Amino acid sequence: MTTSFKVDLRRGTVVTGKWKQGKYRVERLLGEGANGKVYLVQRDRSWYAMKLGIDTLDLQSEVNVLQSIAKQKQQGQESYLFDVDDLYGPDGREYPFYIMRYVLGAKADTYLKQQGTEWFPLVGLNLLGKLAKLHQAGWVFGDLKVENVLVADYGHVELVDYGGVTAVGKSIRQFTEIYDRGYWNGGSRSADPQYDLFSFGVFCIQLHEPKRLQQLTKELLPQNRSTGELMQIIETSAALKPVAGWLRKAFDGQFADAGEASAAWRLFMNRRDTHRLSSTPFWLKGLAAASAVLLGISVYWLLRNLL
Amino acid sequence: MKQILLITDGCSNVGLSPVVAAAHAQSDGISVNVVGVLDHGDVGELGAAEIEEIARAGGGLSRMVNMRQLSQTVQMMTRKTVVQTIQFAVQKELKQVLGNGSIEALPPEKRGEVVRVIDELGETSKLQVALLIDASASMKPKLAAVEDAIHDLMLSLQARQGKSEISVFHFPGARNGDDCVLDLDWTSHLNGVHAIFPKLQMGGTTPTGPAIMHIVDFYRKGDYGRQSRDETDGMMSDYVV
Repeated sequence: MTTSFKVDLRRGTVVTGKWKQGKYRVERLLGEGANGKVYLVQRDRSWYAMKLGIDTLDLQSEVNVLQSIAKQKQQGQESYLFDVDDLYGPDGREYPFYIMRYVLGAKADTYLKQQGTEWFPLVGLNLLGKLAKLHQAGWVFGDLKVENVLVADYGHVELVDYGGVTAVGKSIRQFTEIYDRGYWNGGSRSADPQYDLFSFGVFCIQLHEPKRLQQLTKELLPQNRSTGELMQIIETSAALKPVAGWLRKAFDGQFADAGEASAAWRLFMNRRDTHRLSSTPFWLKGLAAASAVLLGISVYWLLRNLL
Repeated sequence: MKQILLITDGCSNVGLSPVVAAAHAQSDGISVNVVGVLDHGDVGELGAAEIEEIARAGGGLSRMVNMRQLSQTVQMMTRKTVVQTIQFAVQKELKQVLGNGSIEALPPEKRGEVVRVIDELGETSKLQVALLIDASASMKPKLAAVEDAIHDLMLSLQARQGKSEISVFHFPGARNGDDCVLDLDWTSHLNGVHAIFPKLQMGGTTPTGPAIMHIVDFYRKGDYGRQSRDETDGMMSDYVV
């Protein structure tokens, strides 16, 4: 849903925190989420990401989650949250913001387009690893989608936008329809590890068959949406077929958590046909088929002329 | 927490002003949200202004959406209003305790705990949503989408930890003099409910105001005999010390 979020920070603007007087120079807009905007900012020659919220309550709620996650993390891991404060926007109103680590990377679909889909199995594994850590700490990511998965060099994965992160057992705080288990009549909207794994399944389809997924959401009546329809796309997609068994389990909620799911994903990755299948281009298959047909025809002609 | 969610596509034209009715609801502790459903054009300037005004008087939110966004809008508005209702109650307590009114006035380090309480209450407190559906002739082609949105809302509410119930009304009634008709009494699941609106006879008038008043009465009757103490306020004082 579109929100009336009109505040816009221009490049070069220096904003000052109202409470702690931290000064940040705005470089550019990185992205727009459901409840705010994310900017690339600079402070003392270091780069950070700044999330600017519309609603203080909403943003604080997200900060609470980030702080709880940070507390649970073992020492030695990079901290994610640097500063929480308010600023005065160009319109004179106060806006809440927080500063987090800047993650360099491309959206998952962009990355695979640029670097090749052969990175897909590894990106998937790394993403499952990230989810597994959250699940172990009692959280569910909630709003898993292509836009919220950044991929950096060598398939390194980072999750961004923690607005949907929900404690296990509560109702999912924020979700996107086509990734939502409830939308596909595949189960509840309660936060459990299986909820994320369901979204992960749709995420895979969105990476390889975005057009067919989009088409499906347009065609189907709400009561006819089902995981069976999703499986049909998967079964008929060259890139997804090798993972079909895994995806079916994810849609049916058969993995206990992302840890178990990633172990199963590894098995799929190690299978020999995974890479062969996904690396045989369509035109090559077409060519092979065409030459077989030509051979058939010439043999037929040969035999006919001889007899 | 009590809410009315009005889904309409135009202006009221009979009886009490819906803005007055919404203000009545608000004074009874019921928030009124309004969704204006757009067709291909829009609801017109007059309709849009009325929709916004009803929500403002009812202490709720208003949105204009097209059919495709209906489900997501309905569930998001309901969620937001829950948080808002609790936020108001907590802020009232804050005023008494700290002397300052809003969460924004607290420094960020102190907001965390307050927001944690609001989030917790939003998830666990009892919630009732009465859906009021405009079934005037122009809404007829949109009712399928409205039903889907109701099913979707139920799905979201079922995921809450607190008890959640919905009821469904449509207006106008078939006979003259009926402002609105109960289609579905308070329920916490829609298992087996396929058609919420059975064979509607689309009326010509749009008595939005009287229909809202009807629901305010419905809530009152339901409360009669129950504990009179305001539920939210009672819980609030347990949490905010």
